[in-house]
Amino acid sequence: MATNGKLIEIEDLTKIFYTDEVETHALSGIHLTISRGEYVAMSGPSGCGKSTLLSILGLLDTPTGGRYLLNGNPVENLSFSERSRIRNQEIGFIFQSFNLIGDLTVEENVELPLTYRAGMPSAERRKRVKEALERVNMAHRMRHYPAQLSGGQQQRVAVARALAGSPSILLADEPTGNLDSKNGEAVMHLLANLHREGSTICMVTHDPRFAKHAQREVHLFDGKVVSEDELKKLTEEVEA
Amino acid sequence: MLQDIRYALRQLRTAPVFTAVAVLTLALGIGANTAVFTLVQGILLRSLPVADPSHLYRIGDNGQCCVDGGFPEDAAQTGDFSIFSTDLYQYFKMNAAEFEQLAAVQAGQGRWSVRRGDALPKSMHGEFVSGNYFSTLGLRAYMGRMFSDADDVEGAPPAVVLSYEAWQSEYTGDPSIVGSTLYIQAKPFTVSGVAPPGFFGDRVTDTPPEFWMPISDEPYVRGASSILHHPIQHWLYPLGRVRRGTNIAALQTKLSQLLQQWAYSQPLLTANGGTSVIPKQHVVLSPGGGGIQSLQQKTGRGLKMLMILSSFVLLIACANIANLVLARATTRRAEVAIRMAMGAGRRRVIRQTVTESVLLSCIGGLAGLVVAYAGSRTILVLAFPDARHLPISANPSPAILAFAFGVSLLTGVLFGAGPAWFCAHAQPADVLRGSIRTTRDRSSFPQMALVVLQAAFTVVLLAGAILMTRTFANLENQRFGVETPNRYVLHFDPEGAGYTQGRLAGLYRQIEDRFVALPGVNAVGLALYSPLEGDNWGECVIQQGHPAPGPNAPCAATWDRVSPQFLQSIGVPIIRGRGITEQDTAATPQVAVVNQAFVKRFFPDKDPIGQHFGIDVPQYSGSFEIVGVFRDFKMNDPRDEVHPVFLRPLAQPFNGYKEDILKSMEAESMFVNAILLSFDRHPQNAEELIRQTLAGIDPNLTVMDLRPFESQVAGNFTPERLVARLTSLFAVLALILASVGLYGVMSYFVARRTGEIGIRMALGATRASVVGGVLRTVLVQTALGLAIGIPAAYYAGYLMASQLYEVKAYDPVAIFGATAVLAICAVIAGFIPARRAASIEPMQALRIE
Repeated sequence: MATNGKLIEIEDLTKIFYTDEVETHALSGIHLTISRGEYVAMSGPSGCGKSTLLSILGLLDTPTGGRYLLNGNPVENLSFSERSRIRNQEIGFIFQSFNLIGDLTVEENVELPLTYRAGMPSAERRKRVKEALERVNMAHRMRHYPAQLSGGQQQRVAVARALAGSPSILLADEPTGNLDSKNGEAVMHLLANLHREGSTICMVTHDPRFAKHAQREVHLFDGKVVSEDELKKLTEEVEA
Repeated sequence: MLQDIRYALRQLRTAPVFTAVAVLTLALGIGANTAVFTLVQGILLRSLPVADPSHLYRIGDNGQCCVDGGFPEDAAQTGDFSIFSTDLYQYFKMNAAEFEQLAAVQAGQGRWSVRRGDALPKSMHGEFVSGNYFSTLGLRAYMGRMFSDADDVEGAPPAVVLSYEAWQSEYTGDPSIVGSTLYIQAKPFTVSGVAPPGFFGDRVTDTPPEFWMPISDEPYVRGASSILHHPIQHWLYPLGRVRRGTNIAALQTKLSQLLQQWAYSQPLLTANGGTSVIPKQHVVLSPGGGGIQSLQQKTGRGLKMLMILSSFVLLIACANIANLVLARATTRRAEVAIRMAMGAGRRRVIRQTVTESVLLSCIGGLAGLVVAYAGSRTILVLAFPDARHLPISANPSPAILAFAFGVSLLTGVLFGAGPAWFCAHAQPADVLRGSIRTTRDRSSFPQMALVVLQAAFTVVLLAGAILMTRTFANLENQRFGVETPNRYVLHFDPEGAGYTQGRLAGLYRQIEDRFVALPGVNAVGLALYSPLEGDNWGECVIQQGHPAPGPNAPCAATWDRVSPQFLQSIGVPIIRGRGITEQDTAATPQVAVVNQAFVKRFFPDKDPIGQHFGIDVPQYSGSFEIVGVFRDFKMNDPRDEVHPVFLRPLAQPFNGYKEDILKSMEAESMFVNAILLSFDRHPQNAEELIRQTLAGIDPNLTVMDLRPFESQVAGNFTPERLVARLTSLFAVLALILASVGLYGVMSYFVARRTGEIGIRMALGATRASVVGGVLRTVLVQTALGLAIGIPAAYYAGYLMASQLYEVKAYDPVAIFGATAVLAICAVIAGFIPARRAASIEPMQALRIE
């Protein structure tokens, strides 16, 4: 299927959470396109649906309605195992709280997504791990456990893990949220470098300073995509 | 401390499911141990209910029932004398002044026919004892008087002392019993008194004596078959009270010297090379406070094994609780951290945690007492199915309460110590900082280690259970050589009903005629004793023309006196020659039929038909002609090989013996005790019909025992059945506890790792790989448990070797079976949380993280 350089196409996407008798519309009629090689930042106030959208983009969650094409293929109604396969091959995650596995070494953590790929020889896995860690300057800490690293270093390892599988897109959920400003800046530079090298990145952040690193900023408010002006106006209304 | 207890109680109340599971687990563990300990305490550890039992000593140390030619069976090797003739007992009594008093008690108990007034006779257990028996034990009568030496003199008015329990149950506590007359074996005795309540005799047994008679009355009761005055007929256990300050080792040496001196003075012992073995004869003086240790020696190993196995169950229960408490401790680390941040010291935290676990174990101990009471009652019924007035109680005694409390305390400390240490080593700063930084999860290691330990113990228990179950099955399903279906065995006592030898032929004819006329009866056999009933008459066989065998020569053979249809009634065929017939009478030549083992032992290279043999003395070696050979069958102990057996006709007494002892034996053998009835199909109301038929012949003939032949054979395996069932029960309990433990740990493992599972799924792990990952953890733990458990199970098999029958101690079936059962249960226990883990949505898992 022709994709016209578009990696992600979303049309009229909705997500409703049902809890007891309450319906919460987390996302309402989202339209979004992300092209290959693009660096997009999604911002908005807490509870606006940024992380929900990112989860759906990363196939960690399924939409209630709407259309989602990844690489031109519809993915909104895939089975669990199909979604697992695509997540493994096409998507790299970077989480706010790093989500490294404490019992595994740095090397094993980075290798983890590759172990879920059937048929990849271990030599190939080791090569990719080494390359990924070198890209984030963490190769010298391969044998360490996450608990032996600083927060910034842990996040760099998480980035390496996301890169190791050569995914089509990196999804980063508040990657600087648990870091101090210095380490936060370092991670942002790392992402910028990766983008320069050709990676497609979609980052969720509520910090305007970090959003500026992206080529394009998508603003969310109450589950809808809004323009920057609209966001400002709506925020002022809420604060008033 | 009070505050700790209050807080611990509140904590237990706030987690009712945890508390319930923990209490139930502990109740099972502590209950199983206490139940077995009840048995151990009741059999192995108890003292006789007599005055100052610590000064009682028994001459002899084993429960040997029989001697061969006046010497113990192992006379040439060890010469350990444990049973004594009246003459030898009197010799000790006269020459061993170190005893304040030396009493004697009959080695084997008897069942006697007892009648009061015109009532029908009853079958009761009685025992001959010396006149000083009760005074040696320091007992006073509950009513009337006990024996004195004056009662134990031939010619003294025959007296009997009743047990309190028999007085209550058989004579409804009638106070006029003292001074009244009881007819024992149709001989009048005056009841002199009633023994104190709780006195069960001189040994723990499931058939404690219901009355006692002076040993001097033995000829009065047994008549021509009396052994009282025979110098080498050993039938007494001496039990005495040693003077304070006596050197026991020196006394033992002296008694051995006395034994040898006495033996040299006995021509029957010095003959046929006996002199050479006399220097080896000795006695062992053993503590007598616990009484004669026959049951203890018989059941000791089995009980100790059960104690070990039940303690394994308790350890597994402890591991389970430790796991539960560890899991709780992990969830309470934040709370502990807050306490520590506010200044609580480690000791204080440990005290609080241990208080909680000890409190929990004490509650479990209380619940365990209920389980123990029910368990002990069940065990006692299983162990002693025919018991009457069993002197072992299932009620918790102070000793049992102390044991249960001790076990509870130990359990509480055992499973509380680890979690207490874990809690007390929480770093308040770390815990309060939260989960921002990724840390290694070390908390699951002790839990996994406990599961490994549980798996190891469970394999041992399972393998042990399989070994014991196979032993029991092999014993029960072995080829006994007899047919048991549709057959009944009736025990009766013509002598007790007053029959004399002259009237026996008529009685036996009447029995055969009346029983064979019953519907469906196809054979009626009469025998001195029946196969596998526990009785055994043995003599030394001498082939015609052979000299007298020396001491311990392999000449022993079992013999029985039987009617013509005996072999038919038990389904045993004649394979050579002929069987015993109606034509074998006192007027025809003396004949015998023998089994294959007899031929193999005594006539290995000859045609046995037409050969002659006799017993004990060479001059009788031509007494009996072999006219037939029957197929081997188990007559005595079903665990042993088939012994040589010969059968003699019921109607053919041998009148050629000159020795009193042989004459009395021959006379006694004419009084058969067993009737074997074979039906051609399963009979309806057989027992009632059989009782009615016997009563129709003579109402004074007491039914001593009546049961299906199958039941009599099965009765031989009561200890094995008990051990097999209890071992299996413990193994199942262990398996359930271990599976629950594994399930609990894996559930906790999955719960704690939900976030990690989410990460893995986010990175592309499929559900199958998540299930696989969890199951791998389960299997690794199980494999480690097996790695420890399998060698331990092999070692346990080695320790159990003496309890096994036709099963190798290193039995691959047991090991493979135990491994397979554990592995299957482990997979099931692990699969449930694994599925739960795999069904979780990654987003949900990450939210938890």
